[in-house]
Amino acid sequence: MTAAFDVVTALLELENLEVVYHRVATAIQGVSLRVPPAQIVTLLGTNGAGKTTTLRAVSGFLGADNAQIVGGRVVFQGATVTGRPPHELARRGLVLVPERDKVFETLTVQENLRALVPGGRADADPTRPPVTLEQVFHYFPVLAKRRRQLAGYLSGGERQMLALATALLCRPRVLLVDELSLGLAPLVVESLMTLVARLRDELGLAVLLVEQNAGAALAVANYGYVMEHGRIVYDGPAERLLAHEDVREFYLGVGHRADRKRYTDVKQYQRRRRWF
Amino acid sequence: MPLGGGYFKTTYAGDLALVDTRLRRTALAAALVALLLLPRVASPFVLDLITQTALAAVGALALNLLTGLAGQVSLGHAGFIAAGAFTTGVLVEHRMPSPLLALPAAALVGAVLGVVVGIPALRLKGLYLALGTLALHHVVLYACGEFQNHWGANTGVSIPPPRFGGFVLKGTIAWYYALTAVAGLVLVLSVNLQRSRTGRAWMAIRDREIAAESVGIDVARYKVLAFVWSSALTSLAGALFAYQRAFVSVEAFGFFLAIEYIAMVIIGGLGSALGAVLGAAFVTLLPYGIDTAVAALRVPGGAEYYLFPLKFGAFGLLMAAFLVFEPQGLVGVWRRVRNWVFLWPLRYRPLRPAS
Amino acid sequence: MTQVLATTVVVASLYALLAAGYVLVYRATRVLNLAQGDMMTLGGYFLFFVAAAVPGRPALSIVTAAVLSALAGFAIYRLLMRPMAGHPIFAAVLVTVTLGILLRAAIVLVYTDRIRHPLPLLGLANPPRRLPGGAVVSTFDLATVAAAAGLFIALFAFLRLSPLGIQMRAAGEKALLAAQRGINFQLLFALSWALAGFAGALAGILYANNVRLDPSLGVLGLKAFAVALVGGLDSLGGVIPGALIVAAIEVLSVRYGDPLLADVSPFLCLLAMLLVRPWGLFGTKEELERV
Repeated sequence: MTAAFDVVTALLELENLEVVYHRVATAIQGVSLRVPPAQIVTLLGTNGAGKTTTLRAVSGFLGADNAQIVGGRVVFQGATVTGRPPHELARRGLVLVPERDKVFETLTVQENLRALVPGGRADADPTRPPVTLEQVFHYFPVLAKRRRQLAGYLSGGERQMLALATALLCRPRVLLVDELSLGLAPLVVESLMTLVARLRDELGLAVLLVEQNAGAALAVANYGYVMEHGRIVYDGPAERLLAHEDVREFYLGVGHRADRKRYTDVKQYQRRRRWF
Repeated sequence: MPLGGGYFKTTYAGDLALVDTRLRRTALAAALVALLLLPRVASPFVLDLITQTALAAVGALALNLLTGLAGQVSLGHAGFIAAGAFTTGVLVEHRMPSPLLALPAAALVGAVLGVVVGIPALRLKGLYLALGTLALHHVVLYACGEFQNHWGANTGVSIPPPRFGGFVLKGTIAWYYALTAVAGLVLVLSVNLQRSRTGRAWMAIRDREIAAESVGIDVARYKVLAFVWSSALTSLAGALFAYQRAFVSVEAFGFFLAIEYIAMVIIGGLGSALGAVLGAAFVTLLPYGIDTAVAALRVPGGAEYYLFPLKFGAFGLLMAAFLVFEPQGLVGVWRRVRNWVFLWPLRYRPLRPAS
Repeated sequence: MTQVLATTVVVASLYALLAAGYVLVYRATRVLNLAQGDMMTLGGYFLFFVAAAVPGRPALSIVTAAVLSALAGFAIYRLLMRPMAGHPIFAAVLVTVTLGILLRAAIVLVYTDRIRHPLPLLGLANPPRRLPGGAVVSTFDLATVAAAAGLFIALFAFLRLSPLGIQMRAAGEKALLAAQRGINFQLLFALSWALAGFAGALAGILYANNVRLDPSLGVLGLKAFAVALVGGLDSLGGVIPGALIVAAIEVLSVRYGDPLLADVSPFLCLLAMLLVRPWGLFGTKEELERV
């Protein structure tokens, strides 16, 4: 499955990651995935599958989150970074665009774009091209129009753009995006996905895109993983996922049977354990 | 015939009973007997300690109604005690020392004060409410100070022992019975309030006010009701305090008393009647504990001098320790012990983090 | 009349120094440091400690006391407030109350509650000065006003001009998001506590030299808290008008009313503000929803 991608060294790699909440609830187990440079890798799954936990494990937990990484490791650019605090990981280049609480509401747009500490120096690192404010406003013209507005008054789509913009200003090597499409109109989702694809193409950014909206994600992704109940159950290049029967039925809503069936009748549920 | 050792109820009466299982009934009976017979075996000092604890428990239970059940944080509790005590003082100054008048009057003053505080409190939440009540505490103390100066009793008002008709309440044993009985009544009242519709409304407001409002609970009314109940009971405790100490002076109600009540609630554990009682016991007995410890250590002369800051400091330290390590207070500790006993020999073992 | 004005400005300056501490800690950590008054007392006693050890060196004593207080603030954050990170804000505020108790108890244990006067130990004097207009103030009264002005100018410059200012505000709103943006908010929080210690120490040092030093100075902290609330808990700029208003009411009530009222008037201001405009004159309105 991953044959074509083995030769490319992954920028970010998760090996058998296991996260437990409150010391009793295992959220994810045995999660392994790889994000090569200049690629969009998508992580699909329904609510509660463990996608956000995976992203948080990569980008760092705070003590107050009551979460522990009890197994596996996170390898970034060859170095093990499991369990480091969030601000350190952000400065190294693992930048997260969170699912909620993604902007500082009592700060203006302009101040939001300044409320960050970018990793590395502008000139020092050739693999991390500096992203300037002008570039950001070029990608997100609507933000330029609303610079002096309090971020709390922005619409959902504008907030998402602001969050992406601030993440870019942190000079990420790998961008982790959690539920880009959540709560947004389809047109907006499409434009944001196109934008992410542009960032990959123009800036060479590697992206780990966690999404419930499989259709939108697979439209721009190179590779995909499917997560259920805290485990990865399937992975493959985006075209293969788009063609897979179960993915089509459960995540794309394209059923191949016209009639409704009972939960227990569905063959796929019964062979759920055999995803390979 | 009770099924399942008493845990399965077959009648409404059984369901509503406060003390439902046989174990609990036996325990309660034993406790009552012990309390009744205690004066025969215990020294007056111990009885006095229990009396003080009982009085503190009344205040703590009242505070628990407001802060633990209804979620309305109040740091100004000591002000209500002062209000009740001073009502008694004022009546005594006007030559009306009868408790049959003073006690209801104190409760009434408390209730009115509760309305006065409760209505503006509707606008405030959480921290701001706490600060508002703290400020109010100072204002109430100021008013009491003015009373004290006005009546010319610069050091305080002396209160004669209460007469109920022909019966005069004085002496350690009599006060012991009286106050433990009152504490018991307030405890039952507290527990019943918790189970009642009012109590459920309060808990709903505490947990999610917006949701409570959306299911039709009149939030404003219940919040004010919580203040009224709490301050009426506390003022009552204040009046009893005045009678028991036989003296009322504004100095007794200052900063330290306010901290004591906060400590009772924190150390005991918020939200349960048991917590309030445990906290009251702990806070009342702690100074004596320190006294004993210091005496036992036989610290050389001049030690009495250090006693006050030592007690003060120990208070602070314990409060901080509970806040950081056991936010649920003594009730949390009790629950953990109880769960450990119930689960034994099974034990949930927490996972250890990697690296 | 000018005397009333002069006294008001002096009292306001002292309150402003203390209120700055409240605002700094609240803006960054959303915690009300109700031990600020006792941190002021601590600063005063640090001064006494150094002055008693090396008498006659005012500059050294003052600077050392201020630095020690800043370090104390740092230590308080690290040891006491940081473990409370995941707990509800109210619990953290109660911890500051216990901190106040502990500080006071420790001071009394070491120094008893005798009134102390570090002034002679420093080799300084506090002569009265006559201002144009006829008002009379003491030298240290003037020093208090100067210190407050200096501190506020420095704080404004620091928070507006340096990137740390925005980072502090961001970390104060959403600590996790700030961390995800590379901001080391723990360091910023510790810094805000150190600054609060420093500001409190200034107030304590000046008051100890001007009036007296004893363990009960903490009550001034509660009055200054009213100032912070009136101005707006997260607004440094609001401290100045807040301090002037509260000080004016207090001074006027001493002059024309009952002296006992002076003690209570800040609390009445607090209550009035809470009822009319809980977020203060210049505070962020959004604050209220979060509480």
